[in-house]
Amino acid sequence: MVVAGRKGHVALIDMMNMDLIKEFQVREAVRDVVFLHNELFFAAAQKKYPYIYNRDGTELHCLKEHGAVLKLQFLRNHFLLASINKFGQLHYQDVTMGGMVANYRTGLGRCDVMQVNPFNAVLGLGHSCGKVTMWRPTNATPLIKMLCHHGPVSAMAFHPGGHLMATAGMERKIKVWDIRKFEVLHTYSGHAKTLQFSQKGLLAIGSGSRVQIWKDTAGNQDYSRYMSHSMVKGYQVGKVNFQPYEDVLALGHSQGISAILVPGSGEPNFDTWVANPFETPKQRREKEIHSLLDKLPPETIMLDPTQIGTLRPPRAKEQLTKQEREAAMEAAIESAKQGPSKKKTKGRSKPTRMQKKKQDGIMKAKRPFLDQQLNDERQLLNKKPKLNEEVQLPLSLQRFARKEAT
Amino acid sequence: MGKSFLSKKTSLGGSKYEKKNSKDEKKGPRLPSALQREVDSLNTRYSDNSDEEEELHDTDIYEYNEAQAEEESRKNRRYDPVDNLEYKLPDEFEDENLSSDDDDNNVDHASESKSNMNTSDESEDDVEEDSVGRHARMLQNITGMPAEVFDGKKQKFGVVSETYPESEYNPSRDTLDGDGRITIQDLLVPLQKKRGYSELNKRIQKVERKSVPVQTPISKVLQENVDRKVAYEHTKKDITKWELPVKRHREATTIFFEKDTNVGFSTVGAIASGFTPRTNFEKKMDSLINDAKVVEAYREDGARLLELNKISVEDVIDHKNSLAKMRSLLFRHEMKAKRIKKIKSKTYHRLLKKDKLKASHTEMQTDPEAAKEEAMKQEFKRAEERLTLKHKNNSNWAKRVKKRGLEAQDEGTRVAISEQLNQHADLTRKMYSMKESSSSDETSDEDDEDELSPDANPDGVSKLLTKAKEKTQKLLETEDEMGTSGVLSLPFMVREMKKRKEMAYAEAKLAIEDYESSLKQLEDTNGAATSEIRTSSGRRVFGAARKQPEESVNRTKSGNIDRDSDSDYEYKANDNLDVDRAGNGALQKKVPLDANMLRGESDSGSKSVYTSFDDTVRDPDPKTTYEVAIFASNSWKKVGNKNVSNGIDKKSVVVVEPIRPQQDLKEVDKDDTESEEEMVDGFLSSGTKADYELPSQEDLIRRAFAGDDVEEEFEKDKLEVLNEENPEPEKPLLLPGWGQWTHIQKKKGTPSWLLEEHESAKRKREESLKKRKDAHLKHVIISEKINKKVEKLHAKSLPYPYTSQEAFNMSMRVPIGPEFHPAASLRALNCPEVVKTPGHIIKPISFEEVNPHEKEDEQKMKGPNQKIKNKKSNNVKGAKKTKIKHKSN
Repeated sequence: MVVAGRKGHVALIDMMNMDLIKEFQVREAVRDVVFLHNELFFAAAQKKYPYIYNRDGTELHCLKEHGAVLKLQFLRNHFLLASINKFGQLHYQDVTMGGMVANYRTGLGRCDVMQVNPFNAVLGLGHSCGKVTMWRPTNATPLIKMLCHHGPVSAMAFHPGGHLMATAGMERKIKVWDIRKFEVLHTYSGHAKTLQFSQKGLLAIGSGSRVQIWKDTAGNQDYSRYMSHSMVKGYQVGKVNFQPYEDVLALGHSQGISAILVPGSGEPNFDTWVANPFETPKQRREKEIHSLLDKLPPETIMLDPTQIGTLRPPRAKEQLTKQEREAAMEAAIESAKQGPSKKKTKGRSKPTRMQKKKQDGIMKAKRPFLDQQLNDERQLLNKKPKLNEEVQLPLSLQRFARKEAT
Repeated sequence: MGKSFLSKKTSLGGSKYEKKNSKDEKKGPRLPSALQREVDSLNTRYSDNSDEEEELHDTDIYEYNEAQAEEESRKNRRYDPVDNLEYKLPDEFEDENLSSDDDDNNVDHASESKSNMNTSDESEDDVEEDSVGRHARMLQNITGMPAEVFDGKKQKFGVVSETYPESEYNPSRDTLDGDGRITIQDLLVPLQKKRGYSELNKRIQKVERKSVPVQTPISKVLQENVDRKVAYEHTKKDITKWELPVKRHREATTIFFEKDTNVGFSTVGAIASGFTPRTNFEKKMDSLINDAKVVEAYREDGARLLELNKISVEDVIDHKNSLAKMRSLLFRHEMKAKRIKKIKSKTYHRLLKKDKLKASHTEMQTDPEAAKEEAMKQEFKRAEERLTLKHKNNSNWAKRVKKRGLEAQDEGTRVAISEQLNQHADLTRKMYSMKESSSSDETSDEDDEDELSPDANPDGVSKLLTKAKEKTQKLLETEDEMGTSGVLSLPFMVREMKKRKEMAYAEAKLAIEDYESSLKQLEDTNGAATSEIRTSSGRRVFGAARKQPEESVNRTKSGNIDRDSDSDYEYKANDNLDVDRAGNGALQKKVPLDANMLRGESDSGSKSVYTSFDDTVRDPDPKTTYEVAIFASNSWKKVGNKNVSNGIDKKSVVVVEPIRPQQDLKEVDKDDTESEEEMVDGFLSSGTKADYELPSQEDLIRRAFAGDDVEEEFEKDKLEVLNEENPEPEKPLLLPGWGQWTHIQKKKGTPSWLLEEHESAKRKREESLKKRKDAHLKHVIISEKINKKVEKLHAKSLPYPYTSQEAFNMSMRVPIGPEFHPAASLRALNCPEVVKTPGHIIKPISFEEVNPHEKEDEQKMKGPNQKIKNKKSNNVKGAKKTKIKHKSN
């Protein structure tokens, strides 16, 4: 676990044996820390720039391009470090090659709520206007922009399954969303400074000096209170985070950090291919190479990653507007008119003949356009009944349709 | 002479007949000169006809002439062996002839000149001959001896005349002259007696006969060209044999270059032959099997068996005869059937059918087995009819007839159609009749129930019961009368019917008893309080409903409606019951009943509440009952809290908005159980506490965020995005002053086409907006921008074996990996293109002829140790292609 204090204190703790690995002072405010692909490196968002440190506390890089970063996230399959800075600029940096993959302006002002969807690596941002936007590095505009709250979004979290999103607004509302349908499933009232889903789907809510754990008891995404823990009055919980593969919730608050037990929060069976808590250095090195070889290009980030490899969705045809089509036709006619005319003998280039020929040329030039127009109209006519048919039954059920009696 | 000539004419070629000719010539009588002239003239005439013939005749003529010389030479023996010399001559003449073949005279000339040129010795010979003849005659006269004697003398003389021996150094006279060249024939002569002569001679003759002028050879370039062409064609044809193996190589997903591991055993026999016993048991078995004694005994036994197998000749003959007889009988029968089948007479067939029918009828009546079979057949037919509706005028023919109208048809067709319909009716009607006996009971039962169910009052019930009783009795009576004709008259049917009847009797009796007992009960209960009757009847209804869940729903519904309509009354009744609950105890029965009903009917899903109600009702200690009545319109609910304690009623009815009834109820629940301060939701409401004003909080929030109208902003935002993607069409505008001076514009307004265009554009835009994914999500904007970078992650077009996009997409969703596949198939899935064991030398591909009729594996084609694997599965990119320029193996 890496912890960072607002006053510039950064500490690295081994949670297996609760040993302090390293602790050092950066002497400026640290807003966020995040591990990179393994525990040897971490990035810290400091007052002016984010920095990358290694396990020994040595500063490796200073990422000046990012500016005064408020939040950091690391996309581990893509090796991208994402950051949002004070001015609402979103940066994606490739930590393997060091190149800046994307740099977009959100245009929605200061934003200090950022979470990555572990399922599809789409980045979610919560804005002060109550909107939540979802980004990917290849699009300059957000994939999704949804109005979640009337007040500013104070916290958000994604379910590890990728189908749920919890958001909290300043207007005393906590909402659980289905992000496949973009619909709100449940709305609860309550404040939340920070939200976090555990591996098993428990939702930790920290607000003030109180931490609540909610659980989806019925299995219908209707979360209800499972546990609650209150700190000493006056402590302000700043961040809650579950320890993976353990039933432990770590709380970062105004007086330090503490950890509480939350039964049933962590995944009990770890897969050593995915994450091995008892990793030897050799295994770690091996895994690092493997994960680098398996690095995904940033294009693969999309809302529905199962779409990769499927047939390309039919592209909306680039339909020319009517004016453009007419202009094209005019141009063709013009060129036909201007076309050189052969000089022929034996009265075959009489003025009447020439005129006739020219007319023919014009007609010929016009023909394809007219044909296309006709075709379009016909298609439109044909389409209408077809739509009705489609409405009748989905393809998979058509075989059960009653055949017309003869 | 003429004969020889004629024979020559018929024969086309010279040399073959040459010998014969010479013989003929020998025999041929000498023609008188007049005749010869005639022939000559004929020859000339022929020569007119064609060159060929001319040539032929020329030679003839020549030979004819020659014949004379030969004859002459006959006398002089010297020429005998060199006959052919004479024959060779014509060739030369031919050449001469060719040069002057236009003229007939010329020919004559030529021949004449020939004869002239034909050595002066001819004339000399003539002279000599004359003198010799005279001399011979003179000698004959003197000596009286035949001329032959002198002839020989003369011959001798002739031979003698040659003073030097004939050899290549001393060429004969005619060779020296130049026309008697040495020919192959000459050279052949000394070989005449040798072994291979005849063959050689034949060959040579053949060669000569076929002698055609040799063409000049074509140029070398051309020749080579042709050669190359032919070679190309040939190799082209030859190379096609490589196509298959090479193609297979190319398309193979994986090629293996491995040492050919020959398993060695190809058949079971081969494996078995190499078997040697190893274990003790095997050895024992082996010793037993291969024991000499055993083998001997077996062999002997076999011999004896063979002896036993012996069949007498008579038996064989008998068997054969019987077989033959059977065969002939069969054949005859077949023929007969064929003949009958061919008969086209309708009347005959009709009669035949009738006969058959009659026969089967009689059989059916006599033989129960046959009857059963017949019945089965009938049943089958019926089933078929039901399935196919064959006789329902569904055939094309019938349809066409119907289409044209029945009136348009002639008598026969109409009859046929009606007959078909009749048949259909017949078949289906019979089906009903068969089922009647079983189904009628059911239907009657159902009827009874139907009648019974709707009205729940006891009078109706009693009435029904009596009705049912009557009915059953009637049925019993009627059953006796049934079935004395038709199929039912059949003995097996009769038996069956009897059995059934007995069963029905028993059943009916039971039913009657039942009815009577229940009637009695009813009469008893009628005496008691009406309210109780109501409850009992109600219970009865619902009990029935539970027993028969498939019963129509509307019936229960109607019951409910009844209840709903007089729910007020019920309420009162309940109150009454509550009051004297202690005495009656009927409430405990009734309330669960109610709950049941509600559970069945209500769709608000608040079961837990009701169960809790049930529980509370069941244990009498807390003495609290909750009555929940659902009104016909489920829009709102009445929650009645009734505390019945010590006979004092406290009623407090809380009416809650229907928005979230479940939650509210839960809260009510919670109120009872926990009274903590911190509720997750702000709703803290209980019957005793003062009501929390719900809307006030929302108001508060609204007030707090009054400044920023987020929603409106978002809507505006969305509209902007939409407009960016499909811009809103411009409003139809007109240029100011355009057409205004005529006032037409003012009257008509904007032109219709402009408006139309605008409308259509608007509609289009709306349609495209409707197609968006976020069309009905007010609070969401989903970007529809297509990213080119992402597009490369999709398949451009449907790969070959797939025909539908869905199937392909589904196949792509199938995960591949060690988690999802067994190790073997995974290895096959991600096998590299070329698998080569280190150290293995890759030989060029070899071709082996494989006999297609021989059933051998194709492996041979691929060379000695080469395996090709084709994986169809999951390979996304289709078959990987391996380039083989120098094919591998």
